[in-house]
This record gives sequence, C-alpha cells and structure tokens, in this order.
Amino acid sequence: MGFKTTVAKLTAKSSYWLLHDILKRGGTSLPGKLAVKIDPTILKHIQQDFDLIVVTGTNGKTLTTALITRVLRAGDYDVITNPSGSNMIQGITGTLVTSKFKKNNGKRPIAVLEVDEANVALVASAIQPKMFVLTNIFRDQLDRYGEIYTTYDKIVSGIKYAPDAKVLANGDSPIFTRGDFKNPRIYFGFDHIQPQDYQSLTAPNNTDGILSPTDNSVLNYDFITYANLGKYRSHTDHFARPKLQYAVTSVDKLTPKYSEFTIDDTSLRIEIGGLYNIYNALSAFAVGREFNIAPEQIKSAFESNAQIFGRQEAINVDGKDVTIVLIKNPVGTNTVIDMMLTEPEPFSLMTLLNANYADGIDTSWIWDAEFEKLHTTKITAVATGGERYKDIQVRLKMAGFKDQAVYQDLNQIVTAIQKMPTKKVYIAATYTAMLQLRQQLSAAGYIKGGF
Amino acid sequence: MPQYTLNIAHLYGDLMNTYGDYGNIIALRYYAEQIDVTVKTTVISLDNTFKSADFDFVLFGGGQDYEQTIVAKDLKSKAAELQHYIENDGTLLAICGGFQLLGSHMIMADGQRVDGIGALDLYTINMHDSQVKVAKDARLTGNIVIKNNQTGEVYHGFENHQGRTFIGDQELALGTVISGNGNNGMDNHEGIIHRNVFGSYFHGPILTRNGNLAKRILATSLSQKYPDINWEDNLKQLPTESF
Ligand SMILES: [Zn+2]
Repeated sequence: MGFKTTVAKLTAKSSYWLLHDILKRGGTSLPGKLAVKIDPTILKHIQQDFDLIVVTGTNGKTLTTALITRVLRAGDYDVITNPSGSNMIQGITGTLVTSKFKKNNGKRPIAVLEVDEANVALVASAIQPKMFVLTNIFRDQLDRYGEIYTTYDKIVSGIKYAPDAKVLANGDSPIFTRGDFKNPRIYFGFDHIQPQDYQSLTAPNNTDGILSPTDNSVLNYDFITYANLGKYRSHTDHFARPKLQYAVTSVDKLTPKYSEFTIDDTSLRIEIGGLYNIYNALSAFAVGREFNIAPEQIKSAFESNAQIFGRQEAINVDGKDVTIVLIKNPVGTNTVIDMMLTEPEPFSLMTLLNANYADGIDTSWIWDAEFEKLHTTKITAVATGGERYKDIQVRLKMAGFKDQAVYQDLNQIVTAIQKMPTKKVYIAATYTAMLQLRQQLSAAGYIKGGF
Repeated sequence: MPQYTLNIAHLYGDLMNTYGDYGNIIALRYYAEQIDVTVKTTVISLDNTFKSADFDFVLFGGGQDYEQTIVAKDLKSKAAELQHYIENDGTLLAICGGFQLLGSHMIMADGQRVDGIGALDLYTINMHDSQVKVAKDARLTGNIVIKNNQTGEVYHGFENHQGRTFIGDQELALGTVISGNGNNGMDNHEGIIHRNVFGSYFHGPILTRNGNLAKRILATSLSQKYPDINWEDNLKQLPTESF
C-alpha cells in the first residue's frame, strides 16, 4: 500500500466517522468520493481478505442484496454490504474502505455488493469477485444507458475480469444465455407449471429481448411468469431455456403483502407481495445453497425479520392504509399492477410522475406500462400528480379512467390521501416524486425521520 | 354498436416498439372510439405477410439496433407491398427506426450499413460520421418542439436517437425545429411528410401529446376508407389532448 492509498483510506475513514458518528448521517458516497479523489486506484489496494459477490441487473438488486446478506449471516458468515442506492463506484469504495470484518471463525468473510450495471467492470477490474448474481435486464432509463444488449455487454466485460467466478443468472431471461465468457453458469428460474399445462405463447409486444440467439426467430414460451421471463424455446431449432439448478416448483399463495411458494422441496414465505419478488428470494436461496447453507436456515433467514422487505412500506394516514411503491420502468410498473390484481380489498391508486435525472428524463415509458389492466382489479378511484402530472393524467385517461383527481402540487398530498374514498390506498411514484412524498408525510408526522 | 372499423397494422410491433411507440395506437383508439369507430390492431412481424388492402393505418415504430438489423432483412419481403400502400395514399406513421428504414439506407452506431426500402428520399448516417457538426459522437436526447410545416401547429415530444437523417430537396419535413435537434441537429428539419406518410423522431409518443396530429391522421385514414363522411368535422367536436 502506497502513501497515497494510506492517506485516501484514512481520509475516507475519518470523513465517514465525522458523518456517521458526529453528524449522525448515514452515507458512504462522500467518503468514497474523497478516497477515489486522493487515490483513484484505491479499490485495487484494498486487502482482499474477503470474498466478493456482485449483484447486478435492472430490477430487484436492492432486495436481492439484502436477502443474500441475511442468508449468509444465517450461515454464520461475516458479511458487509452497501446501503441501498450506493451502487456506483464511489459508494462501493466508501463501503469497502469504511467497513470492518469482525468475526474470526475460520470462514472467509463476504462482501455482498449491489452494483449498478455500468459499474460492474470498474469494480471487477479492481477486486476479483467470487460470484456474480444477475437478476434480469429490462429496458430502463434508456436516456442514460442505451439498449438491453449494451447493458448486458457492460456486465459481461466485468465478468471477464474474473474468469473463475460463478455466474448465477436468471435462467428465465433469454439474454443470460448470451455472452462469450467461459465462467461456470448456474441458472435459477420457475418450474411451477406442469407439462400438461404448457401453452404455446409469445411474449407481450411491449417487451424486449425476445429473439433466439441462434437463429433470430421470435421465441415461443411454454409459460411466462412476467414480461419476457419464462420457459422459452426456439420453434425452428434446439435452442431452449437451460437446465435450472434451483427452481420455484410451486407458487402457493400470492397476496399484496406476502407470498408463499416452494423452491425445490422447501416451502417458503416472504413478507412482500409480487411474483417478481419471488425471483429475488430464489436468487438468494441459490446463493445460500452455493455456500452450503441448509434450506432450513435459509427459510428462517427469510422468515425471521419482516423489516428487510421495507421497500413497499405501509403507512397509516388518519386511518387510511397507505402503501407506497416505486415505479421506474414499464416492466417494474407492470409487475406492480400484477400485484394489485391480488389485492382483495377495494382500493384507490395515486400515480405520481416526475422526470428529473433520477427518474429518467423521458416519460414515454408510461405508454409501455399496461395501466389498462387496472380495470380488472378492485380499483375504485384514481388520482394523478407530480411534476409531469399532465403526462400521467392523459395516460390514465386514455386507459379509460376518465374521473381523476389531479394534483399538480405535492404540498396537497396529505389532503389528497384523506380524500380517497377507500381505506386502502396505493401510491405509485417515480424516485424523486417518492422523495417529495416522503418529505410531505414526514413533515406532517406520518412517518418518522424521512429520508 | 359502432359501424365503422379502423384496421391498424403494427409493423414488427413485437420487435420495434421501444419508448412507448405503442402509445400512438392508444391515442388513435381514444379518439376513434369517441366517434364510434372500432380499432383493430394486428402485429405484422417476421414471417407474416403484409397485405396493403387489409389496413387503413400502419404504425412502424423504433427498436434497438440489434432488432432493427433483423427487421431490415425481413422487410425486404414486404417492401414492394409497403411501397404500393404508400403510393396509393395509405396512411402511415413511422417513428425513429421505422422512419429510418423507409429511406434508402442507414449506418448503424457500430458502422454497419443497413438497407431501407427506399420508399422515401432520405438516408441516415451515424453520430460518428465526419459530416456531423452538432453533438458528434453523442446521442440526440431531450425535449423537442417543432412547428408543422403544413398547418403551423406546434408539437411537443422527446427525441432519443443516435442516427442523423437527411431528407431529399424534394421532400417536405414534418416540421421546423423550434427547440431541440430534429433529424440531424443541423438543418432544422424534423421528420417528413410524403403523401400520407408521416415520419418523425418524436417519442412521447407523438400522437398522445399532440392531439391535432392524431386527429389529422385519423381523419386521413378514415377518409380513404369511408369517403362520404366528413371525419374532420366529427373529430373537431372532441377535446384535443395537447401538452
Ligand atoms: Zn428513438
């Protein structure tokens, strides 16, 4: 370790200490930024006395990372991880230079890091990961990253820095059969449909990545879980979904608040709705098994602490049962709508759209989300708002929701919630709209602390 | 019970449908249903035959580069019929990649040359070309406002493309750029109007945010099929979404 690196590390540590212990503010991005500034190669000098697992993909990174962390801790591993949102190189550097491993039980400690797709190569070139976990790749914020194949190429360029690393990938996503790397590949996916119930399907028209890599024909599916995920095959040659090492063999119960399902022979429950979240649990299960953690231990890791599923947070606003969900791209929004299909109570939906950098500056994605499907849920009232309230208002009007309460200003949000006619209220918001919403709810005393 | 039907072909709707292009069909249906017209949409993709007589409106959206090269190959088998549709005053809206493929050729981001069907006098180079004087090596991404060259209407949208398109001297652009970049960032042209073909780089999508154009395209399509009805007057009664 050179002098520069030592200074960089010390600076990062003391700024973290200042922020965290004196100012009581979380955050690893600033210490990371300072460290990278003093020594751009600092990641390369970090003592590699731990194994690194990189979790990447479009949707589900944060929850998957949190679940893997819990599972490994249940298996008595000493684990460090990055806070949600700190998934770029600075945040990761900050996490690594400020964290300490504590246990000394003979097992190598593990760093489980959520890594932004475009930052995988930066991380992997400095520290050789032991494992990559690939959740899915969907169209997302194209104004920033380009196309799904470009995104995947970026991930693959990172994988190539660690040719011995295991690649645990979602086998239901056809894109993960691509890529010219030699690493061992382990696939997880769904096998909950019996062969006699197979259909011959094609993916919905608004999904990407539906061409067979062998002959460029449009893929057929025996079944689809959502978007372009499912059991696919080419109708012209032998290309088909690879063999699954870990599979969801039955989906036992889907509700907006929890899901019950079986992976291989273990029945499991997670305290969060949405079929897509079962994929996150499945990948964490697969990682746990690869580290020889017993299925029963994984089960108790999932079921012992519901706090981990904090993303879909329920808030009580004067007797209204309010659930906030983040929306950011068409597939994510469709899965949220699918979750609303499992809601047994009548509910109201407020959709808040912003188009700042963190939301994605292009709002055209709202037309690829199937708001029309909401007609088959128990929805009774619709409200729209946010800085781009007009876009979302017209989207829902053209989806057949003529009567809408429209809120141009989020200052009225508490009144807006109170005015909803049902006890159950969903608020779907883009990232910065969600921050503004939380600020309002926090100022009015409905949530503690805010962001 | 509506007695009129608008048959829409969504050309490669499963492969060329990024950035909400499908919203254009949602907008047309929204206005059509209010004047008792039923909209039927058929995706015409790889291996399907396109028969011009079956359709009153064609949407050809944009796609990712990879899908676009596959589509370009398949399009050869549909080129003659598509050309026939266009020269018989069929109504067509082509966005981004679809717009590019109606021209003679295009150079993809990686330098690969892909042939279009040559129905319109236009061609596309990539952002790295030495001719590019504005935002070389960068995508043209952001909000855009143009003024329609025929009607003077102002349209709002979002553009997101790396290709730079140039239309021939005899062709008319859809609009003149007020703010944003348009076809190439250099000549103030956005899109094209050629008979009843409308080409554009607008996502947004264009017909959801610009109700005047949606109504015009709808009236043009329906007038071809049901010439005895004054569709423009019927549509004039409806409120126009424009933002
Ligand atoms: Zn485009």
